[in-house]
Amino acid sequence: MAGTTIWKGYIHFGDTDVPVKLHTAVREERIQFHLLHRRDRVRLRQQMVCAYEKQPVPSEEQSKGFEVEDGKYVIVDPAELEQTALESSRMIEVHEFVKTVQIDPVFFDRLYYLEPDIQGKGFNTLVKALKELDVAGICTWIMRKRSYFGALQARGKMLRLNTLRYADEVIPVGSLELQDVSLSEKELKIGSELIEKLTAPFEPRKFENEHQKKLQDMIEKKARGEKIAILQPRRLKPTESDQLLQALEASLKKAA
Amino acid sequence: MSRTFVEMAGRRLSLSNLEKDLYPSYGFTKAHVLEYYRRAAPFILPHLKGRALTFKRYPEGVEKDFFFEKRCPSHRPAWVKTAEIPQDNGERMTFCLINDLETLMWAENLASLELHVPLARADSPETPDSMVFDLDPGEQADILECARVALILRDLLSRVGLASYVKTSGKKGLHVYVPLDRKGTTFEDTKTFSKAVAGIMQKHYPDLVTAKMAKKERNAKVFINWSQNDASKTMVCVYSLRAREKPMVSFPLEWRELENQSTSGDPERLQVTHSEALSRAEKKGDLFREVLVKEQKLPHL
Amino acid sequence: MAVQGIWSGTISFSLVAIPVRLVKAIEPGRISFRLLHSKDYSPLARRMFCPEEETMVPPDEIIRGYEIVPDKYILMTDEELESVSPERSRTIEIVEFIDMKEVDPVYYDHPYYLVPSKGGEKAYRLLAEAMHRINKAGLAKFVLAEREYLVAITSRDGALAVTTLHYSDEILSDEDFSPKKGKIAAEEQSRMKKSIEQMIEDFEPKKYADERRKKLMHLLAAKAKEKPLVEAPAVEEEEGEAPGDLVAALEESMRKVKEKR
Repeated sequence: MAGTTIWKGYIHFGDTDVPVKLHTAVREERIQFHLLHRRDRVRLRQQMVCAYEKQPVPSEEQSKGFEVEDGKYVIVDPAELEQTALESSRMIEVHEFVKTVQIDPVFFDRLYYLEPDIQGKGFNTLVKALKELDVAGICTWIMRKRSYFGALQARGKMLRLNTLRYADEVIPVGSLELQDVSLSEKELKIGSELIEKLTAPFEPRKFENEHQKKLQDMIEKKARGEKIAILQPRRLKPTESDQLLQALEASLKKAA
Repeated sequence: MSRTFVEMAGRRLSLSNLEKDLYPSYGFTKAHVLEYYRRAAPFILPHLKGRALTFKRYPEGVEKDFFFEKRCPSHRPAWVKTAEIPQDNGERMTFCLINDLETLMWAENLASLELHVPLARADSPETPDSMVFDLDPGEQADILECARVALILRDLLSRVGLASYVKTSGKKGLHVYVPLDRKGTTFEDTKTFSKAVAGIMQKHYPDLVTAKMAKKERNAKVFINWSQNDASKTMVCVYSLRAREKPMVSFPLEWRELENQSTSGDPERLQVTHSEALSRAEKKGDLFREVLVKEQKLPHL
Repeated sequence: MAVQGIWSGTISFSLVAIPVRLVKAIEPGRISFRLLHSKDYSPLARRMFCPEEETMVPPDEIIRGYEIVPDKYILMTDEELESVSPERSRTIEIVEFIDMKEVDPVYYDHPYYLVPSKGGEKAYRLLAEAMHRINKAGLAKFVLAEREYLVAITSRDGALAVTTLHYSDEILSDEDFSPKKGKIAAEEQSRMKKSIEQMIEDFEPKKYADERRKKLMHLLAAKAKEKPLVEAPAVEEEEGEAPGDLVAALEESMRKVKEKR
């Protein structure tokens, strides 16, 4: 089943121009809950409430403020915000190409499928070239007045555009302040063997959202007036550092 | 962009654009700012230590865009200490703590000309260790009016048994601090107390003092901003630079000095520049030290 | 889709269990605004409002309900919601390991980091190092904030990263957009390749900035200079008379001060 075309643009670099249409690639499904008033089961509405008057405030009386100093704001009105909107353009400008393996997955944000807008205009050639060189095109574009930064990649016969997060949005591993811990070669060896033994091909279809199913079941049970058993979350006992090697060896045995 | 590497306490710090003029009409570069804070470190660090920092960054200088930053930048060296403080909306935010010279230099390399901190320490964000009276002059008043108010305030407070200490804001006003016993007093206590004091001051000196924030009330009066006594508010740290045309400093004054100068008619004489701040502090030590060590309890609550 | 809150629990593979905490890997750069009351600039907050009783409802009077037919709800308590998948709400159990190269980027949803809790530092490091050594990632399911996620656990610079993945039934097919088969002229192909090769560089994300954000910051800074900033009224109208004792003591003190002056 297809997503809708959400935007049209053209990929540009050097002498190359490839017109494309963007499609969403993912559709999430989830059970929606509403918030109710316990007393009368009335569905609650979200309101913006004034901290001082403690009354709801209608949208005509709401202003957007940016906090510049503690408790002090600059007010911005919609017309001014509009002025900061970027000039619309249909160009997806490729600035450089990088080896695909250099892009750490933490940068990937949202993925769009690309469809050739006009058949025969370089789409297939581009796909083939990207695959043969194993590179991604790093590009920027303006969509709905916001600026985007992304990677153009080939997969199979298709082109995809993956938006990327900006560098200053990614928290570096260094800031986690992880301790340096020494491990014995034996521990590493057995650990690696264990992982190897537990390795399987990636088959995403194996995995279903079981929680969703169980939740659905629970809701239906309640609707029928049946009693629900409340189960406590299970907590595992952490493996002590000096027991690590033993646990690894026992696991390896078990996996064999 | 030019880069210099320095080594401090076994840590490597990269400093950039040292020649950038941050106070262009005065001629004070980033190197000057770093040098100021390096020399001011022995005085400012004890007042910054263990407090959630709010940066006010001017990477292109005081005449250009600035950034007010509470969240500790994610691109920080691993040795920068942080603390997580719950915010008004329930979210927990990570703040930087400037506990040592290296972190101070790193913060200044980010052109955080002004350093703002809460009245409480990060390990006990609901219990301030001082109560503050932020004296803010109206459009037609200035630091001399603030000085008059500060002196009356000092007398009033001392008669209920509280010692107080004053510093310049580095702009037009003065800040009066009342040190408290570290964990025994809450912001609710200090807010109630300071509000009552502000009310009494306004009642008895209505032409000089107002306790109300509304701008139309203020003109030639001094506003006693008692609402600064709040967990979510910050004050500029003593010895911090201010981002004005000239690098002025939020500097502690002796009460005697205030008494002498308040009748002089010259507001400039109460303002302290960066060089004056360093020479005075190096000569007389930290005049605000008592704010950190003295322990007092608010009476009559 | 991003998830709120910090999770803590255990990550396990076979018989090894490691106590960990989940933390953010992304700090959105978007400029956030505060909504203020135009009248007096006091900040606005989101509150749940009961349209029937016309009052604000505090959190302890709020309950979640699922609408089975219009206007008919099945109520669910937090306890019940938590007990749906008890084995998964506190444990990330790695059931198998995979080669990340096999994972189509279309599956990636949101990244997080795991940090070891006290006592788990060694086992944490072991998992990170071993996965790095043989270039594998762990695949697990876990429940966070009442949603179950399929996650990939990867080793990144000595740390464990968690990336939530979409389920395969959430991935839309791209069959409909398949380009038509066509012959690609060899000359065109080699020209394209050359064109690309000339533009190959190393990946340096720092080179790219959010232009909209920059323009917005510029506007805000300019505005902050040109006009005085607005502030909310102080909590003057708030309840609470100053304690009588305090006011009396201050009045007495003030009397003495004025005498002296």
